[in-house]
Amino acid sequence: MTMNRRAFLGTTAAATAALGTPMILKAQPAEYIIGASLPLTGPFATAGQLVAPAFTMAQKLFNDEGGVAGTPIRFVTEDSGYIPQNSLANYQRALASHGNNLVGYMADSTGAMKLMAPELKGANARIMGSTSFASELADPATHPYQYVSGPSYQSQFDILLENIKAEGGTTVAFIYSNTEFGRDPIAHGRATAERLGLKVVLEEVTKPQGADIPTHVTKLAQSGAEYCILQGYVTGVWPQLIGGARQFGLPTKFRGTFWGMEKIIADRITEQAGPFLAGYEGVMPYRYFWDQADAPRYQTYAKYAGEMFAGTPLEKYLSTWTLQTMCGLEIAFKTLRDTAEAGHELTADNLAETLAGISDWDTGGFFGGPISMVNNAIGTGRVYAYDPESGLFNPTSDWLSV
Amino acid sequence: MGQFLQFAINGLMSGAIYALIAVGIVSVYKATKVVNFAHGYLIMFGAYFYFTFAVIVPQAAWAPAWLASWQPDWLVAAKADAPMFSPLGAVLDWVSNLPRIILGISGAVIANALLGRLVERTLMRPLMGQSIFAMIMVTVGLISILSGASSIIWTADAAFVPHIAPNTPVRFSIGDTMIFLFGADLVNMVIALLLFGGIVLWVRYTKSGIAIRATAEDQSTAYSMGISVPKVFSRAWVLACTTGAIAGAILATRNGVSPTLGLFGFSVLAIVLLGGLDSYVGVFIAAMSVGVLEAMTQWKLGGEWAEIVPYVAVLLVLLVRPHGLMGSKEVERI
Amino acid sequence: MINGNLKSSYGSDERIVNNGYKQAFVYGSFLCLAAFALFANDYMILIACQVGILLVAVVGINILTGYTGLISLGHGAFVAIGAYAVTILHNAMDGIVPDALTALIAIPVAVTITALIGIIVGLPSLRVKGLYLAVATLAASFIVIFIVENETFAGYTGGVVGINTPVPNLLGWELDTKREMFIFISVSAVLALLAGQNLFRTRVGRAFIAIRDRDYSAEILGISLLRYKLMSFALSAAYCGMAGALFAYFYARILPEQFELELSLELIAAVIVGGMGRTLGPLFGVILIVLVPELIKVTASVVTNGDTASTRIIAPLQEIIFGLLLIFFLLKEPLGINHIVDRLIRAANRWPFARG
Repeated sequence: MTMNRRAFLGTTAAATAALGTPMILKAQPAEYIIGASLPLTGPFATAGQLVAPAFTMAQKLFNDEGGVAGTPIRFVTEDSGYIPQNSLANYQRALASHGNNLVGYMADSTGAMKLMAPELKGANARIMGSTSFASELADPATHPYQYVSGPSYQSQFDILLENIKAEGGTTVAFIYSNTEFGRDPIAHGRATAERLGLKVVLEEVTKPQGADIPTHVTKLAQSGAEYCILQGYVTGVWPQLIGGARQFGLPTKFRGTFWGMEKIIADRITEQAGPFLAGYEGVMPYRYFWDQADAPRYQTYAKYAGEMFAGTPLEKYLSTWTLQTMCGLEIAFKTLRDTAEAGHELTADNLAETLAGISDWDTGGFFGGPISMVNNAIGTGRVYAYDPESGLFNPTSDWLSV
Repeated sequence: MGQFLQFAINGLMSGAIYALIAVGIVSVYKATKVVNFAHGYLIMFGAYFYFTFAVIVPQAAWAPAWLASWQPDWLVAAKADAPMFSPLGAVLDWVSNLPRIILGISGAVIANALLGRLVERTLMRPLMGQSIFAMIMVTVGLISILSGASSIIWTADAAFVPHIAPNTPVRFSIGDTMIFLFGADLVNMVIALLLFGGIVLWVRYTKSGIAIRATAEDQSTAYSMGISVPKVFSRAWVLACTTGAIAGAILATRNGVSPTLGLFGFSVLAIVLLGGLDSYVGVFIAAMSVGVLEAMTQWKLGGEWAEIVPYVAVLLVLLVRPHGLMGSKEVERI
Repeated sequence: MINGNLKSSYGSDERIVNNGYKQAFVYGSFLCLAAFALFANDYMILIACQVGILLVAVVGINILTGYTGLISLGHGAFVAIGAYAVTILHNAMDGIVPDALTALIAIPVAVTITALIGIIVGLPSLRVKGLYLAVATLAASFIVIFIVENETFAGYTGGVVGINTPVPNLLGWELDTKREMFIFISVSAVLALLAGQNLFRTRVGRAFIAIRDRDYSAEILGISLLRYKLMSFALSAAYCGMAGALFAYFYARILPEQFELELSLELIAAVIVGGMGRTLGPLFGVILIVLVPELIKVTASVVTNGDTASTRIIAPLQEIIFGLLLIFFLLKEPLGINHIVDRLIRAANRWPFARG
């Protein structure tokens, strides 16, 4: 068959139409980039350094699974020092240097998410996950591109307060750090407590690190609260507060939210200062990593972690913080893949639409069952209690939905 | 009333620590006329050194087991009898921590003294005779260097450091309110006050103390009278850094080891100016009153308000008394 | 080789840009800026905007520290006041004043407010000098940040969580891209530099210099210390307020922690590094202070190839180098980069004759 120019063009056009126009309208990039800011230095450095390997693992895992419709994906992580402005600068730098190849971003704090939210418009918009469960972000009307990979802090507070009510508690104290993250659910928690008939006897603000422990503990002691919810801490302050209260012999029961529920920290405290975390409980959106029986995805992670992190503490156990980031990346990856497979271009608007439409998705074990994105958040969680003997957090409630 | 007393005592306890920090700033100023903006960061290094020698070193694989936790038979037996979180239990815990506390304190003091000497030789001595502006700004530059260096060297931030004294709770009631105090805090206060008093006496009555005062009076005259001014300089810096190391260790047990300890330097700087830069007595009064005021603010208005107490106080006092409560007036010649 | 500048009238001697070389330099810079706005990539625009915003503030610090000889470690707070004032004014005027005019009203009002607060903060400068003033301004800045963060005023300032900032609209020209903002920022920065240069041909500027050189002698000459010290504080605060306004317009949201001690130290360091009491000093200083951390970051990412374990040391390294730069200039080159540039120009000018 001889082919002249006209026939060639005609055939190509037909082939194009058959394959789907978007494929050639825009040249397929060699790789997609997802940028990330992590607090590798600063007050939450411990968390950042535990999370950083998740990106290496996720990159290998996702690319082994075929990337985004055949295109490999690459993560570019940078340090933010837990300073929102640095995260923003990192994002703007990534945007300026990777252009449209940058398809998503992982931010590292409530502050950074809020600082970046208004920047996400037009050509500068990207879908954005984070380490934050800030309540303000769980609202597609105002934050269409940002999502929360679990229940918001407000929902976590609701779970805790209802739990306290169910146990017959009457008075509760809120101790929180003077950060966006610490302050996030306080007003809401106050309202919920009032609705449930719980009395908030103390609202105490502390520094996020280097807080004056004796003063705060004396205030807690003077308030005589039965329960105390700690919010806005990662590695420091909350254990010292509990330690101080135990040394005073206060009967106060302590409760925490996601960031205060890490086994590594709890174990370290037990080892250094004794078993005073006995009876400490808190909300956790995910399964812990040792609970792998019903979690096929965790088993895959365990295989990868065993190979990639051999000889490091991550070989056997992934921290809850690492899991949170993995969950955020899984959501981003699913969104990218679904959008690409549906033949849409990977613009922020298309991605945001796919993201908001995720429903009945089996995450392979992160949560108790299939989940849906409601208001760009996943409203499920479970209460766990720490056992210093075994060093495990054991569930004390079933999976709760909020 | 009971509540008032509770917070007044809290305030005096933190005031004593402020005084211990302030003594370093005042001594350096007296000897060298340099006001050290980076003193808070030297204290932070003291805290990190204490953490290194009291936590990291004893946990190292090569360290003997008794260093991390000293468990002679009689102690194990006594511990088995004592209930958890009881006063006796706290004392016994302290006894088994004693080896690493001693190592921690002495390590921190020595390491910080070396650091002080290093800073003095490389940065401060070239500045002898320079303008006030240059001296202030060099210590400001030192802030960045110290805080950057600390975050490269140390990363752990969740660690507990052992209390210097047994942390037995002290509880008694006045009227119908219960007063809660930590034993360790009371001992810390006593340590801080003893050190402060000791340094004041040392500067007043010993030969090297008199050399510091002579240098403060007039550098060149002191030099020509046979006092080695460079030696006075380094002695003052070493003194500031060793007291700083102990203050750092105390702060580490109270507030945890973290880079924010450096910020204490700024509020103490405000306290020092409030009291009068070259007056130990003025600074002591200022430290104690700011401590109590802070505790009262903490009680009535909450934690955030307490943070600005020293700054508001210093601004108000400077408007009325430009050289602080008891500082000597500078005489300027045209 | 230049032997001198021929001035045939007082008018020509008194011009802001008083010789041909300076004119060529100024017009050349305008051309470069225009070319930059057209051709630079997004990343370069981003960095240039940061330079421009800081530059406006540092010109202000230069008036206070470089020309009047007063030390402030708290000028970051004035940037905060400018930024928050503009945002609050925009929110207050929303719906009352047409959008095209809001920014034109908000900027001058915000700058005036900042200048007034500058006068209040400057009050201690009458009684205390040097070190005491440094601590007094530091204390004032802690208090300003505290007020911004405090929940009582959170309705206006947004509190700790920050507040979204408006998009400026200059008579219908909406500056909603970074490139448009760059034009606005660079015009403001050039005007700030020229106004700064102009100030020191006037009576006020010369009074400042007299105060710096010896304040009591200046008083004997009949210069009112009260008036001129406060004026210096007000002017420098006004510049910082303008920088704050630009900051608010450039970023879509502001947080109180962006204006803390770190910013104040950056501002003063830029003046010292660039050259105190020189018109172009702030420019050199700001470029160095902004570019060095960027260069460290870029170099590190090439060297380590994005390895996360080693990115951990970049931020501390930037901090250490910032401190080292400051100390190096104080000890070895107290007149700043401007002086180095002077020496180079002089050497080039006299070539092949004696250098130095």
